[in-house]
Amino acid sequence: MEYVSPEGLRLDGRRPMEMRQIRAEVGAVSKADGSAVFEMGNTKVIAAVYGPREVQNRSQQLNDQALVRCEYTMSNFSTGDRMRRPKGDRRSTEISLVIRQTMEACILTHLMPRSQIDIFVQVLQADGGTRSACINAATLALADAGIPMSDLVTSCSAGYLNSTPLLDLNYVEDSAGGPDVTVGILPKLDKVTLLQMDAKLPIDTFENVMQLATEGCKAIANYIREVLQENTKQLESRRGT
Amino acid sequence: MRGPQLSLNQTQKLRLEAALEKLESFSSKANSVTVADTIPVNYEDGVLKGHGTSEIDGSVVATVCGVVERVNKLVYVRALRARYKPEIGDIIVGRVNEVAPKRWRLEINFSQDAVLMLSSMNLPDGIQRRRTAVDELNMRCIFEEGDVICAEVRGFQHDGSLHLQARSQKYGKLERGQMLTVPPYLVKRRKQHFHHLDQYGIDLILGCNGFIWVGEHVNTKDPTEEEQASKSEQEQVATKLNRNAASLEEQERTYTPLETRQNICRMANAARVLSTLGFSITVELLIEIVNLSISLKSDIREMLGSEFCVLVAEVEAERRSAKIKKK
Amino acid sequence: MEQRLANTWRMSVNDKKFIESSLLSDLRVDGRRPFDYRKLSIKFGREDGSSEVQLGETHVMGFVTGQLVPPYRDRPNEGSLAIYTEFSPMADPSFEAGRPGENAVELGRIIDRGLRESRAIDTESLCILSGKLVWSIRVDLHILDNGGNLVDAANIAALAALLTFRRPECTLSGDDGQEVIVHSAEEREPLPLIVHHLPVAVTFAFFSNDNVVVIDPTHKEEAVMKGRLTATLNTNGDVCAIQKGGGIGVLQSVVLQCLRIASVKAADMTSKIKDAVESYNTVRAFRKVKRHSAPIAVSVDGSVAIKKQSQDGAQKIEL
Repeated sequence: MEYVSPEGLRLDGRRPMEMRQIRAEVGAVSKADGSAVFEMGNTKVIAAVYGPREVQNRSQQLNDQALVRCEYTMSNFSTGDRMRRPKGDRRSTEISLVIRQTMEACILTHLMPRSQIDIFVQVLQADGGTRSACINAATLALADAGIPMSDLVTSCSAGYLNSTPLLDLNYVEDSAGGPDVTVGILPKLDKVTLLQMDAKLPIDTFENVMQLATEGCKAIANYIREVLQENTKQLESRRGT
Repeated sequence: MRGPQLSLNQTQKLRLEAALEKLESFSSKANSVTVADTIPVNYEDGVLKGHGTSEIDGSVVATVCGVVERVNKLVYVRALRARYKPEIGDIIVGRVNEVAPKRWRLEINFSQDAVLMLSSMNLPDGIQRRRTAVDELNMRCIFEEGDVICAEVRGFQHDGSLHLQARSQKYGKLERGQMLTVPPYLVKRRKQHFHHLDQYGIDLILGCNGFIWVGEHVNTKDPTEEEQASKSEQEQVATKLNRNAASLEEQERTYTPLETRQNICRMANAARVLSTLGFSITVELLIEIVNLSISLKSDIREMLGSEFCVLVAEVEAERRSAKIKKK
Repeated sequence: MEQRLANTWRMSVNDKKFIESSLLSDLRVDGRRPFDYRKLSIKFGREDGSSEVQLGETHVMGFVTGQLVPPYRDRPNEGSLAIYTEFSPMADPSFEAGRPGENAVELGRIIDRGLRESRAIDTESLCILSGKLVWSIRVDLHILDNGGNLVDAANIAALAALLTFRRPECTLSGDDGQEVIVHSAEEREPLPLIVHHLPVAVTFAFFSNDNVVVIDPTHKEEAVMKGRLTATLNTNGDVCAIQKGGGIGVLQSVVLQCLRIASVKAADMTSKIKDAVESYNTVRAFRKVKRHSAPIAVSVDGSVAIKKQSQDGAQKIEL
């Protein structure tokens, strides 16, 4: 199957280096300390952050830092076939672990000892790149909750089909069986925190694909920064003196 | 963006947007920052890095989204929607989560539960004495799980947890009213947090942690008068101790009249409207809104409706523009 | 989500500081250089498809079994490969019996991605009757001792077990060729799996200091490390899978440098695995003929002892 036409257009009309439309909204869940909805094309993800609050399980309390917990779930209606997903299935467990470790690296946990930060991410619509959308949504939600972080974390995926590196794969391109590289970076420090890849790629091609995904992450970081800036200005202006 | 989750029709939307835009135009050019933004700082003067900042590669970087504040050499970032940041002497309202040995644990919108020691609390009979084991067993008679308590921050422990004290008569259990939650950044620290509104007969406590108590007015007595405890005092004390065994007469005596209840609800709704719109909550503003709703002769529950919300926004815009013109 | 339910072993602050500061001078606690692997030994069991790998103190066993099942609806011509991990409580005080925890699931998925997504095992040859019967290969990995770097050891165990696994030969018979006869090992020689390439996992550990990177962390180094990167590569220069699940941020250049080092190590590891499998195969073939050779059955003398020494690291001869 042809994923990149001879003119250089992909199945949904994008160029190989073009990302899908992104949209972010802060404050979707009013009860949560921080929340956000993040959309990348048709992939829509909602994240809610509770914390820092009292640790619920006293035995897990850490005396010198905050305990970060993360739960990733996919709604039953998120993919084409409405399936009853078991809560603790292996893919969800792995992605929960990965998101937790990614966010833990950037949250300044030593400032909130003996407390707990809960991150809940739920996929509302899945069309490829759910992992990246979840990390972006979690970053927004954490910033909204006023939890101190050393840097934002943004994430984007890229692939390699028909000998072309493609940025931001959707579901059809992802299930083509080609390589799928997901990168999460700290934009200010320009460091890679999350890096996952499956299927085969020669090392040099991998370098190009990783570079492309990193560029995508930086673009998303600019957008997220704008959204947060706008939100802060609005809150401050409404609050008055 | 977070906004009132109300269904507004077209005109209401336009009016609300107009009012909010007006407010935005008034706001001074506040230097807001997001996470990992570099804060422009004059290094020669020497700079003290306060909350919400950290140093990366020699430059001062923000760790939260908020507004940069500078006080002499101190530079810090004031986060907006964060959890409550306690300071010694703050008046707070909290709910009892757990009764632990010799202390109560209260939930106060902080990263940990606050602790109210039995020794920081006045005993019901008012005598200053050492707390015995019997007192410890009777802790539930003073406060139980789920009670709403007003207290003052006494200090921090070395592990970061908060200690409270409720020694004065104005602190203690709050009854006959309602508690509501607003984001803590909307409640500013003032000299007075206890407000007794005579015209409505209600008490208003604006806790610095964002928990607001609106209740029927309770006469708080001076500690010196307690020594000449009258019989009615002892009866009141007896009521506190044996709440469950309240007789019908006592229930009649402690009945809150309908009008007071309505005023309590109006005041609480006013606070809710302000919190949805994101305006600072002050007593003057609350009284104004309650008066507004009374003058409109609208139902109390309509205060949470879209029309009232838009009205409040417009009124606030007017008020702020008037204030700026006065300057 | 349930972390730290069992006893967590905590390291003392002195230990942590010592490991970190000695790493700054490129010294590791067990005397290795930063990019050295620990001693690797691969042993095989009596059965085909069972392996036992020891990497330093880490001890992992792998078992491969096959079963005839109906295929997936969307893949009627392909068999399947599934990896199951068992973190035995005897390996580490923090492992709990029963449902796999987060780390067990992550390990299973890393190995799964390396083997399955990169098409290391040919699944189409596992199809017996298209749409009706295919072989489902199941790899069970049991962690017996956690001495650090479980991923690499488990990966080697899985590869070794898969290379030595033999599945029974099947023939189609019956009037319309729809009946399948599974031949036992005595009737027909069982067939090995078709393996296209060997994806080898190499794990790097990152510490607070940017310049410190080590390969094959021990249990203590894992308690101190701030981030981990597992790269699965084969000898053809392909990257099969990469997993860096969060943790401290590293520069892109460091990642690429790690990949280059990993390709060298992967070649080394592949040759070791191939050698071990080779010697196992010769012993196995020898064993088939063994029934008729007298010296082993009867005498207990110098000749048998010599035989034993010549097989190092591979099949133990039974007397």
